[in-house]
Parts: sequence; C-alpha cells; structure tokens
Amino acid sequence: MSNIAGKAYAMNLITPIHGLRVFANKLIFWAVGTPVAKLSLRGLKTLSMIHYARWVILRSKDFPHLASNQPKEDLKYGYMLFFSNFNGSWEQYVDSFSAAIPSGLNLLWWKNIGWPNAVPEQPFHRYVESNQIWTDYYYSSYPMAASNDVKSAELVKQKLCTFIGNTTGVSPNEFSQRYNLLLKDLQCDLGLLDATPIVSLAAEEISARRRAALAKPAPAAGRAPEPATSAVISAAQPHNQNMPNGQATAAAASTATRARKASARGKD
Amino acid sequence: MPNKSGRAYGLTTLCPLIGDQQDDQSYAAIIKGRLRNLPVDADSPWAKIPNLYMCRMFVLDDVFYQGKPAHEDHLKSKYLVFVAELHGELEPFLEAMWRVAEDSIRDIWEFCVAFKGVCSTGDFVRYIKQCQVETTFYFNGSNDESLAEQLKALYLKQELGKFVRDQQAHGKDPVQLQRAFSDFVARVEPFNLAGPTWRPGASDLAQAVIPSAGASPVSNRS
Repeated sequence: MSNIAGKAYAMNLITPIHGLRVFANKLIFWAVGTPVAKLSLRGLKTLSMIHYARWVILRSKDFPHLASNQPKEDLKYGYMLFFSNFNGSWEQYVDSFSAAIPSGLNLLWWKNIGWPNAVPEQPFHRYVESNQIWTDYYYSSYPMAASNDVKSAELVKQKLCTFIGNTTGVSPNEFSQRYNLLLKDLQCDLGLLDATPIVSLAAEEISARRRAALAKPAPAAGRAPEPATSAVISAAQPHNQNMPNGQATAAAASTATRARKASARGKD
Repeated sequence: MPNKSGRAYGLTTLCPLIGDQQDDQSYAAIIKGRLRNLPVDADSPWAKIPNLYMCRMFVLDDVFYQGKPAHEDHLKSKYLVFVAELHGELEPFLEAMWRVAEDSIRDIWEFCVAFKGVCSTGDFVRYIKQCQVETTFYFNGSNDESLAEQLKALYLKQELGKFVRDQQAHGKDPVQLQRAFSDFVARVEPFNLAGPTWRPGASDLAQAVIPSAGASPVSNRS
C-alpha cells in the first residue's frame, strides 16, 4: 500500500455534506467552472505541482447498484470525494493549498461537516488526515517526471522540432547563432530527470520489501511470483542532479527530515 | 462535460464488492492483498494500456464519522474504487484495457458484484460504465497530449539536456556543432513517436528508453 508512485502522490478524501446542501455545493462547482469564476481560483493554476485533481459529489442514489441482492445505500449525508495527483510531500501539498487558495478551499468545501477553514493550518491538517483514505495501488506512466517536467517537455519538443525545420540547410555560423538562441529560450526547461529521491521512508521500506520479495526464488506451486522488475521504486538517490552539489546535499537532508516526519505521522 | 478537461478524461468508478468472505478473509482483504502484490511501475499491467496517464485503486470500506454533533453514517457495501486519468475517449480506453490486461482485471475485480457476467470487451465496457460516477469538477494541471506524445517529449527533453551539456563541455566550433546536432537528430528521431522514447511507468533511467525499431537497446544514463 502506498500513496506514492515515483514523484507523484495520490490523495483521496471523502467528506460529508448535509443532504440539503448537496445541490448548493454542486452549483458552486458549476459556477467555478465558468470563465468568470475561474478567476477566483486562478491560484489553483499557480499550484503547478498538481497533475490532475477532481471532486465528485455523491448522494445515496448515485452509488452504483448492480444487483437486486446488493443492498441500496441509505446515507444520512451526501459525500464529496476529492482525488489529487501531485508532486512532493503531503505537507508541502496541503500547506501550498492552504497558502495559495484559502478562500477557494473554503468555497469548494463549503459547509462540509467538520470543515475547519483552510487557515489556520493545524485544524486543516487534522481534517485532511482524518478524512484521507489510503491508496492500495498507484500507477504513474512517468514516475520520474513532475507535472512541470511534463509541461516543459512538451515545450522543448515543440521548439526543438521548429528549430530543426528552421535550420535545415543554413550555414554553420547561422546555425550556431540560432542554436544559442534556442538554448536561451529553453534554459529553464532542460533540467535532467532522474529517479525520485526519498520522499517517504515508509514508501522506501515498501520498495525494499518488494525488492526482497522479488529476489526470492520462485515457489514450486501456488500463485505465480511477480516478474523480476526494474520497476520497483529504485533505490532512491539522495541527490538532485538539477542542483549544485551543496544545494543538493541540503535539499537531500531537508527531504530526509520531511520524510522522517511524514513517516512518523503515517501519511505515505 | 465534467468528466473531461480538454482531451484529458477523468474516470471515477465505484465497484461494489460482494459482501462475503473466503477462508476467513473478507473479499475486501483479499483484494487489498492482490493489489499489494501487483507489479509496479513499468511492470504494472496498467503500463501496457495506451493513453493511461495515471491510475489508483483502493477499497472504500466505509465513510468517516466526524464526531458529535454529526450523525453516524455507514455504507452498506464496500467498494473497489478505480480512478484513472487518461487521454481521449473512454470506450477505446476500456477496450484496450481489457485487451492488454484481462488477466489482471479478472484477478482484481473477481469479487465485485455482477463482475462474473463479464466475459468480453463489450461486457467490460458496459460493466465499468455501470460503476462510473460523474465527476463534479475536473482540474487538469498537466497537459492533455497523448501519452505517446508526452513520453516522447520527456525523452527529448532529457536527451537534449544531455546533448547541450556535452557540447558546452567540449566547446565545439560551429561546423562541429552543426554536425553533432545532425547526428543527435538522427539518433533521437524527434518526429517518430514510436521510438526512441520513454517506457511507460519507467522509474529508473537505466531501463527507461525504448529504442528505435531495429536499433540495439540503449542506455539513457550518460
């Protein structure tokens, strides 16, 4: 069980809403989706560590009912499910949300039972902790990439392809000049990617157990063993190769400290 | 449509579990165990599904009590929750999912209500749609390009970064630079999404690159 897949963290929250307010909450989300109201949530865009996030509001009748012998749900409250894929640690994410769009959060969780407001942070942390469901299995197609990497990679690809088209047949000197302009243009987007550093000691322990399990000889009978894999979260490297050494060491130490705190609080 | 944001699609499904047990273990516990043992990253069965960005699975046992004066509330069924972020339309995605990962799907969904009747691609698509709940609000903070496009772009970003670093280290003159760049373009094939590119789910640079068709395997680590 892990909420972590490489550089991505999966958060799942489920929070109750008074039945009569379900419609009002849905109306808020509808309004938030309109161009004018989107301005009030422009802070969400500044939280560039988010890959994808969604809110789903359900009443009893919305829970799938597939057979006559399956009991129908009869809940007193409506429920809001929140799913997010983001980069970094739990605390970084929750604190960023609280700092960047406190009024937006208060709007989106309006009148959810027990909602303490996004500020101050401690009651907000407790609310998230006590309503979070752990992910049993999490998969990312690019565990080595943060959301910003995915976005900047597309920019790099587009500019590289344009550059190739524009420099076919030009003289070496002109090529060199345009090449330097390309680098100036892309200087913020060419950081090298690598396996994720340790974000969570708990997740690292899970990876170590997986590696140990995979290293065991196959059982003679019973369930087939997992295939040998490079895919287990690789032994995390305590450096970030996009940073100078001193900075990387400090970042690694900081990450390890955060990881210890997060593990101690069991969020990963 | 709230399930979509541009060309990104947010699939949310709640598949009810049969309320029974096997060998003193609840079906929920068995499913959790199977999910725990599912290969991860590039060896994940979900890594074979085209256009799947990310997905998660967990068992929703119950809702949480908020303390007095709130009422106590309980679900009557447990649910296997499958949440996926994907590119494009839902039906082709589900058809491909069944095609490339049928065994894993059967293993994980075995104890879900009405899943026994799923015997074909069409059955699976219908079943998942029955379990789907509509997203109220979907936020896409990434981009909505196809997965092949995203993986190729990540590969190019990495390779261009290494190329630039190497050129700067060696201080080549314009003629040498132009020749080296031409070789670089021939090697990375920027317009060919099929390869060389990054492997879906790869978590280690040494195993990340899918070579171009016909080329020998290459390491991405310099």
